[in-house]
Amino acid sequence: MQKSYLIKRILYAIFIFFVVMVLNFFIPRIGVDDPAERYYPPQGNMTDVEYDIIKQVTREQYGFDVSNLQQFLNYAKGLFQGDLGTSFRPGNPKVSDLIAERLPWTLVLSVTNLLISLFIGLMIGTIAAWRRGRWQDTLLLNMSTISTALPAFFLALILSFYFGFELELFPAYTNPNMVSGFDWSWEAVKVVMYNAALPIISMSIGGIIGYGQGTRNAVIAVTNEDFILTARAKGLSRNQVIFKHTLRNAMLPIVTSLGMSISGLIGGAVIIEQIFNWNGMGTLFLEANNTNDYPLMMGIMLFMSAFAIVANLVTELCYSLLDPRVTVGEKR
Amino acid sequence: MTKKFLFCILIMTLSFGLVACVGNEYERRNDPTNTLYVGAVAASFPTSFMPWLSREGIAPTIASMLYSTLFSYDEETGDFLPSIAKEWYYVDPDGNPIITEDGHIDYERLESLYSVSSQKYLPVKIVLNDDVYWNDGTKLTAEDVYYTFDIGTNNALSNHAGALAWTSDLQHNYSNGILLRQGIFTYDHGANERGYQILEDEKDTVLYIHVNKVLGAITSLFTTILILPKHIWEPIVTPSNQLNSKEPTEETLYQYQHPIGSGPYDLDSEHSNAQVIVLKKNENYHLKNEQNGDLYQVDTIKFMLFQEVNVAIYALLKGHVDILDSTISSNYMSLFEGRDHIYVSNAEGTFIQSLVLNLNPATSEKNPMRDLLASSDVRRAIALAIDQEELVQNVLNGAGLTVSAGLMSENLTDFYNPDADILRGDLTQRLSEANAILDELYPLKDASGYRLFQDHRISFEILGSPGEQEVISRLQVQLQKIGIEVKYTAKGSTPERTFLYNSKFDMTLQGVIFSLSNLDIMYRAHFVTLSNSSNYGRLSNLTLSARIESMRNTLNLQTKYDLICELQPMIAEQYYKIPLYCSNVLTVARTDRYTGFVTVNGQSIFNTESLQNLTLVSEEG
Repeated sequence: MQKSYLIKRILYAIFIFFVVMVLNFFIPRIGVDDPAERYYPPQGNMTDVEYDIIKQVTREQYGFDVSNLQQFLNYAKGLFQGDLGTSFRPGNPKVSDLIAERLPWTLVLSVTNLLISLFIGLMIGTIAAWRRGRWQDTLLLNMSTISTALPAFFLALILSFYFGFELELFPAYTNPNMVSGFDWSWEAVKVVMYNAALPIISMSIGGIIGYGQGTRNAVIAVTNEDFILTARAKGLSRNQVIFKHTLRNAMLPIVTSLGMSISGLIGGAVIIEQIFNWNGMGTLFLEANNTNDYPLMMGIMLFMSAFAIVANLVTELCYSLLDPRVTVGEKR
Repeated sequence: MTKKFLFCILIMTLSFGLVACVGNEYERRNDPTNTLYVGAVAASFPTSFMPWLSREGIAPTIASMLYSTLFSYDEETGDFLPSIAKEWYYVDPDGNPIITEDGHIDYERLESLYSVSSQKYLPVKIVLNDDVYWNDGTKLTAEDVYYTFDIGTNNALSNHAGALAWTSDLQHNYSNGILLRQGIFTYDHGANERGYQILEDEKDTVLYIHVNKVLGAITSLFTTILILPKHIWEPIVTPSNQLNSKEPTEETLYQYQHPIGSGPYDLDSEHSNAQVIVLKKNENYHLKNEQNGDLYQVDTIKFMLFQEVNVAIYALLKGHVDILDSTISSNYMSLFEGRDHIYVSNAEGTFIQSLVLNLNPATSEKNPMRDLLASSDVRRAIALAIDQEELVQNVLNGAGLTVSAGLMSENLTDFYNPDADILRGDLTQRLSEANAILDELYPLKDASGYRLFQDHRISFEILGSPGEQEVISRLQVQLQKIGIEVKYTAKGSTPERTFLYNSKFDMTLQGVIFSLSNLDIMYRAHFVTLSNSSNYGRLSNLTLSARIESMRNTLNLQTKYDLICELQPMIAEQYYKIPLYCSNVLTVARTDRYTGFVTVNGQSIFNTESLQNLTLVSEEG
């Protein structure tokens, strides 16, 4: 891979980040003439003069007393100093602190979900491909159809009600003391695993089937290649053919899906977190949205976007490293 | 391969099974203590308990339990009930109470003293209870009240718009930290110099305030502002570290999270977090019950956060919580039917749903169809065709009431005027009257039976949210009977700015709540003010506006009540905000651990009276 290609991709990612930053700042402001009026509607027997004073105080307090452009410049300056802004919530905590507090809990769900989906998806996809036309393959295809029609949040509700409320095998919603009581002890880890079980199952069923389907198609495409026939003719065992030759060459589309999954790691569990009261980034975003906490909303969106941009960049770079046939940007 | 795969699945299932052995922790079921588990459906819980900063979700409820106001307000009688303060009086310029021989406010004398006087304020004397303590053991005094009101008006220290709004009726003003006009007087803050005699042994309990010259001025000061402890906040609040500073100091943050209040409950900071809030009864709370025992009967309250209403309802049904502190749609009621230990509180509500007609759009928004609504005859025909009983039965599943066209609840017996109830009566008769009015104005109809105006079907759009589509579809059927078509149109997330404030709509649904405590503000906002107010249809009626101003400005309570009675028929006859229904407040509790839940009009079952009346079942047994 050439340096120029690497620099080009990085510059492109920075440009995308800048565009996201601009949109992220201005979109919440569209249609809002005076945010102060939304925070403090007229109260009491106040006169217009008194209300104007109050609105001015609110504008100054939250930095709305300057033009949108100036606000943007202040915001951009803060960002370059690593400051995502200050939330409107009582106590005015830093947005970055709130994100840092919630991010690990979202990663617990989403990373576990990704690993489970990838591992099981690869296995069942490979099996379905090798047993093409048999019951394993038919089952995967049917499951794929059902999974497309069954959104994860609906599955989450069903699992919460049946396994949580009715059978009481797992918590229907997160133990409120799980986060505050977490101390890295084995007991605390077990509590987290126990509480994360249903959210992870709800999220990973779709992922398993998605990766399974993707792997199946990729493996079938590779299985028809001549080099697989050669490998078989050489007398290699089935496992050697699958793992050393087929899967490796079928990885390209899977890595693409993986890259997309990684970029959605943080924002992909909003509704699931809400259903299970999971104190992560998704619920933080909903809280910000429901309370018109613009700095927090903007901070979360920007963080998610930055994460997605970096994940995509890394995926693109891995893409060319994984498959020597891919020579994007390189001169022959 | 398949075998290995199945083996892996088996291993994973077993691991989940092992994890499941951790066991469920629904602690309410086995909790023998006097702890009420309250499910709260909210986006988030507050983690900071400075009452002036907590405005969202459950925060005001929590704040009102940790702190106290001077008085509480009885919506039905309009009386101020003792809390931190026990008595109050309007006083004459010498500081003497303006009261009748039997101890009530002498409104006639008040009126004669101040209505034509050049003095621009009303002086009020407040007497505090002398046995109120902060939960750190410090005595609450008049200086705490002074400090609270003073800092609320001084934006060099508080920089808090809400506090300024709540204290806007107080004639105590600052400019850049300099006191321009003093409107609060205590023993230590110039009362005697101002001519209000406070004896030394009264200095902790007596203060005077100057308020705007309207009767409603004291309401928000008495019942909205939670009093803060001066000894906690004064040392740390400075112009460089304001209350609600964007960068609070460590000490300020600590105080936000470890509140010192004087309310009936204290925060158990150690056991509270972002998803559960634990309150413990304040054993030294100064208000007692009739037997001089504890006023509040519940020792501990645990608020548990639910972000999804369905999950919260199941948590109640399965016994994870005792009560839900949120209203339930009547559509959910079948879930609770036939279940043991479930109490559904069906309290009469105060929220009146109305259909607003845009009768006076701004010039740029006028069109021939909207011009029809300027006619009071057309508006009257529409109002007569609306069948409130049908809406209550079908939209609310019976959980609601019909409403007077004066938009006043019948519960408010002191000033409800039945003469304003002009839209009741036999529906067939009303429809024929409505059709007769319209036949005279617009006799032609199209093939579908809708009336024509300038060869166009008379058709209006009703601005609403997706949740209001059912009401609007019922209105479609009802108004079809008089040949008027109405259609649903989505109002979006910022309807005020997009449609309502600039009169870019035909009709819309609007909830109104009128009570004695808010009429001064709400009547003007709904029927007088033309820009950026709740008067979306821009009603402009000089007679009505003048009567509303008279009602606001009178210093005689009886005159005020009389004017409120007089205003209701005037409002009804505008046929501007047509009542559709008043929905009940439906809330649910379990009765297997506690009995004694009290249904209070307009409130959820988690209310002050329930907390004062609940008994643990085991204790009762």
